[in-house]
Amino acid sequence: MVNRKQQPPTRLITHLPFISPQKGLLGNGVPVFLVEGGTEDIVRVELLLLAGSYHQHKPLVTYSAANLLKAGTAGKTSHEISEMLDFYGAYLQVDAQKDIVSVSVYVLRKYLEPVLALVQEIVSAPSYPQGELDILLKNQKHQHIINSRKVAYLARLHFSEQLFGPYHPYGYRIRKNDFDKISRHDLLSFHKQWIHPGNLNIIASGKLPGNITSMLEKFFGNSNWARPAQQPPEPVYLAATSENKKLLIHKNEALQSAIRMGKRTINRSHPDHQRLMIANALLGGFFGSRLMKNIRQDKGFTYGINSAVVSLVRDGYFFVGTQVGAEVCQAAIDQIYQEIIDLRTKPASPEELTTLKNYLSGSFLRSFDGPFAQADRFKELLVFGITPEYFDNFLVELKNTTPESVMDTAGQYLHEDSLIEVVAGKR
Amino acid sequence: MLGNGLRVIVHRDTSTPMAAVNVLYDVGARDEDPSRTGFAHLFEHLMFEGSVNIPDFDTQLQDAGGENNAFTTNDITNYYDTLPAQNLETAFWLESDRMLGLAFSEQKLEVQKNVVVEEFRQSYLNQPYGDVWMLLRPLTYQVHPYMWPTIGKDISHIREASLADVKHFFRKFYHPANAILSVSGNVDPDQVFRMAEKWFGDIPAGAFSERNLPEEPEQNIQRRLRVEREVPFDQIYLAFHTCKRSDSAFYATDLLSDVLSNGSSSRLVQRLVKEKRMLSEVNAYITGSIDKGLFVVSGKLHEETSMEVAEQAFFNELNLLINEPVGERELQKIKNKAEAAHIFSESNVMAKAMNLAYYELLGNADLLNQQPAFYFEQNAEHLQQTARSLFSPERASILEYHSAKTQSSA
Repeated sequence: MVNRKQQPPTRLITHLPFISPQKGLLGNGVPVFLVEGGTEDIVRVELLLLAGSYHQHKPLVTYSAANLLKAGTAGKTSHEISEMLDFYGAYLQVDAQKDIVSVSVYVLRKYLEPVLALVQEIVSAPSYPQGELDILLKNQKHQHIINSRKVAYLARLHFSEQLFGPYHPYGYRIRKNDFDKISRHDLLSFHKQWIHPGNLNIIASGKLPGNITSMLEKFFGNSNWARPAQQPPEPVYLAATSENKKLLIHKNEALQSAIRMGKRTINRSHPDHQRLMIANALLGGFFGSRLMKNIRQDKGFTYGINSAVVSLVRDGYFFVGTQVGAEVCQAAIDQIYQEIIDLRTKPASPEELTTLKNYLSGSFLRSFDGPFAQADRFKELLVFGITPEYFDNFLVELKNTTPESVMDTAGQYLHEDSLIEVVAGKR
Repeated sequence: MLGNGLRVIVHRDTSTPMAAVNVLYDVGARDEDPSRTGFAHLFEHLMFEGSVNIPDFDTQLQDAGGENNAFTTNDITNYYDTLPAQNLETAFWLESDRMLGLAFSEQKLEVQKNVVVEEFRQSYLNQPYGDVWMLLRPLTYQVHPYMWPTIGKDISHIREASLADVKHFFRKFYHPANAILSVSGNVDPDQVFRMAEKWFGDIPAGAFSERNLPEEPEQNIQRRLRVEREVPFDQIYLAFHTCKRSDSAFYATDLLSDVLSNGSSSRLVQRLVKEKRMLSEVNAYITGSIDKGLFVVSGKLHEETSMEVAEQAFFNELNLLINEPVGERELQKIKNKAEAAHIFSESNVMAKAMNLAYYELLGNADLLNQQPAFYFEQNAEHLQQTARSLFSPERASILEYHSAKTQSSA
């Protein structure tokens, strides 16, 4: 008979699973990183541009300029471009964020070359046809109007505005009529100023072909894709958290209320960041967290609750987010405050801390599983300009975590007095 | 296969430090009592609330550096764990104990009923268009239990669930012969089989109950449901009954949905969103269920587009599939897309374990590797024949989801 009361022995990971990518420079100075691996004949090439909506002069310009790269070039229509990508079974993923624009293509290795030729063409010289812009904006406006009926969407938008202020690009809350104010000229100008080889990094991952370097050189190393004579200076904005700590977006018909609470805090570039990530994990960073145990598994107030520390290049913030039954909204908020207070006042038990450490080390290993995941983790370093030792430090930091270090970190960065609260729904 | 009927499948991948363990139970919302719907899914929640020897599933798995989740469909309930490969045995310990028996309690049942009620509200009731499938299912299925969604027909069914129901459900469906265990990742197959025997081998076999579901009769009269809701825009849904998952026509049916809306070069996107600009979003897809499924075409209408015009545009496209063969290059394109999607799904240990278990349920885990070939052997004639059998107006179920706002301001 097996002993079912006793957990089989487990071992923690002891070594870092991260292999630094092979780095090269193209003829025009564009850095290239190669992450080799995987079992299937698939490749991802990501063009990572270090400029995002932080750099735009009008709302939605970065989003539109990135998403309409595939909408036409001097030589090809939008339809021809999508026909080619679909024919090769290639998947183009465009991501326009606050600090970056990323264009990734996922493709079977056998079709990499023709697909890269196409990607080069669309990224370097988009024509941004007016008709395509009209369709995008109209459809996105439609989606925004639908989303504005969702409490989670409203809470998220208003929370950012409360946190960074209405004039800061991290805080600006998108409005319906913003979709009517953009011209193709805005996109062409954004492209010229920010989407160019001077802001570009290339990360290729997967089962790479032997000639990957020369292929990248051919398409991205000496192309007619020009850098501007002078890039505009980095814009400067000052974040201003709202003086009003509590905001209610009232929705009379809401069955559930979306809650978002948080504050600005340090980001990935700060030496205490990993310590804060670990403290946050205990609070709300995984299924076994205190918030999840209390508010879902003990009280049954919600389907899910989490908290996170979010790194932006020029700022950072902490938040707790959930959707709860409207009738228990205030009770849930009270419990969230209590958990945040407890985090800096009640030491974790040895069992709780062991579970946290074991879970986080497994989750760390999982986050490096496969070439695409490795490339994603490497991207964090690149965007924040930090070195791979960051990953080694995490395991050291995790090992050195004590009940006291968690309480100290929580007291320093997550004090409940400074939190703002946004509720969309009823309270 | 173990002596008690548990099927075990292993796939080794030494390129990863991880392992994935998947346990599929052959029970879904279709197996529920019509007066106790949502039960399979509620039960899935209870599977995390402790078993006979282990008080807390999640904590023990987290202690081994693992992570897990589960989902319930109309056909199956599927549990999966990923963890560092060296700690694989912990997943066997946990999964076998909850197959052996659960630590039932009134208090845990009450809490999980609340959690599921909040999930019901979050996903279905407190979302614009969230009730679409609660309307579409009973419109399209009149006798088969696919007529209700996995979350249940009504919140009251969840609120009324009793501990006796829970125990009965467990005995009936949660036993080795009704389950498939699959493992993938950096594992030694011999060791996996030994561990399976060690942890699952002594679980009592349980009584296998024959599934005897009513077959949905062929539909010969068009059905139409008009609803009005507090949403900003109109939406339209056309649904047609399709074959079973095991039928050879499944592949042509799936490819037809790809011709219509897979990728931005697809027909519906190019014509209805881009050229005519009548819809802000369009979709065509199949439910892919084990019993006879649905082919659904849906669109979000721009304010100036009427329901009649959108419906006519959909039927025009469906008629085109009936009247003209899909061109050679277009067919090659969608086959290439299907191939790429298959290869990409193979690169993830979790997806691999999940797929192996699912195809084993369909008859044979090897079917997974044969999927690309099944798609490749389809030709334009197969697609046209299939379109003919699917898309006649009298077999359509049409849901008109009207915006109350548009109507009052018109």
